[in-house]
Amino acid sequence: MRNLLNFLLKHNNLIVFLILEAVALALLTSANSYHNSRIVKAALEFTARLESKINKARSYIGLREINSALALENSILKNTLERFSSNSNIVFHSVNDSLYQQNYHYTTAEVINNSVNKQKNFFTLNKGSNSGITTDMAVITNNSVAGVVVGCSDNFSVAISLLNIDFRVSARIRSSGYFGSLGWDGNDYRQAQLSEIPQHVTIGIGDTVETTGYSTIFPEGLLIGRISDFRKKGSDFYNITVDLANDFRKLRYVDVAGNLNKAEQTKLENQFQ
Amino acid sequence: MINKILRFGLISLVLILLQILLFNNIQFSGYVNPYIYLMIILLLPAGIQSWLLLLIAFATGIIIDFTSGTPGVHASATVLAAFSRPYVLRLIAPRDGYEAGLQLSMADYGFRWAFLYTSIIVLIHHTALFFLEVFRLEGFFRTILRILLSSLFTAGFILIAEYYRKNR
Repeated sequence: MRNLLNFLLKHNNLIVFLILEAVALALLTSANSYHNSRIVKAALEFTARLESKINKARSYIGLREINSALALENSILKNTLERFSSNSNIVFHSVNDSLYQQNYHYTTAEVINNSVNKQKNFFTLNKGSNSGITTDMAVITNNSVAGVVVGCSDNFSVAISLLNIDFRVSARIRSSGYFGSLGWDGNDYRQAQLSEIPQHVTIGIGDTVETTGYSTIFPEGLLIGRISDFRKKGSDFYNITVDLANDFRKLRYVDVAGNLNKAEQTKLENQFQ
Repeated sequence: MINKILRFGLISLVLILLQILLFNNIQFSGYVNPYIYLMIILLLPAGIQSWLLLLIAFATGIIIDFTSGTPGVHASATVLAAFSRPYVLRLIAPRDGYEAGLQLSMADYGFRWAFLYTSIIVLIHHTALFFLEVFRLEGFFRTILRILLSSLFTAGFILIAEYYRKNR
């Protein structure tokens, strides 16, 4: 017993070290569910509040640019409205039939914290479950993919950014319709990689890459970016580099889209899988 | 004594705020992410109880973790840095040894000592940190490059801050 006590006293340094490392690593490895734990929720709420204060001060700097973007969006929306109100009799179907087959409902939010410099980037939105945001909703900006909501507190939510090496989205080339999987390799915040496109497909630089509707998270046909480079390498698939349509450094106002039919679709799919 | 603790607390607060509000927002192509809050661990006096040092390191890491959304990453890297600190100190000990109660500073032990001390511990911390952050060996050399570049900036900042403290 005395020997044991002596041993513990002599190596208390090592023991405290091991205990603290164990706690830290436990936190690290349970990271996926961490947004749900209560303490972290409180911490998130607190820091998010702090960040929204800072962001308020910072937002003055970009006002001019945002103003012009809003004006542009306004004109686009007005045009769309015009189109819908002028031919209310259903003789012509709009090609993009979003009115009659709407699966998604949208709400706007503001990004109050964002990063592009890590390997696993997340951003924080200023709306949470009080505004009807839940996990697995799509985050869209300027009609292109920004990320997916992964955790919500009452007034804030955290979304995994497209610029996260764990993020993958089903994407297709608009001209040929072939789909593959798009992800970020952690290198350049303006480029992502599209894989699983077979080599017999003809593709060209500048081809548009958009989302498929397969994931039930993102609406179909959202712009992701344009092909800037492709390479045939060993395997049967292309290595395609895509210039992202979004500048993630300037991410500010986003739409959060929830799929209204998601529960139904996944329930049906689960019956056969 | 109380005065010293208060001063240290103030310095820590400033460093943590600097880290959260300024250095976390440096976005230089993803390769340069200085983590200057490590200076808190470097400053503590040589005679500090090792368990206290480890606890302070853990607390600092957890604060940074929760404010930057990376649970456990900073905490474990900082605790590792704190654990290795006594060994590094012994390795590069000056001839007359250390003054147990005083904050470690460039003013007392010279530039060469401060340079070695800072860069070794920063390297240990950043190596653990960046590998834990990525948590895979894919892109090994890119991670190494990130470690080296970020260490350069962190150590540079800490040494410059130390230099100004010395001359004051």
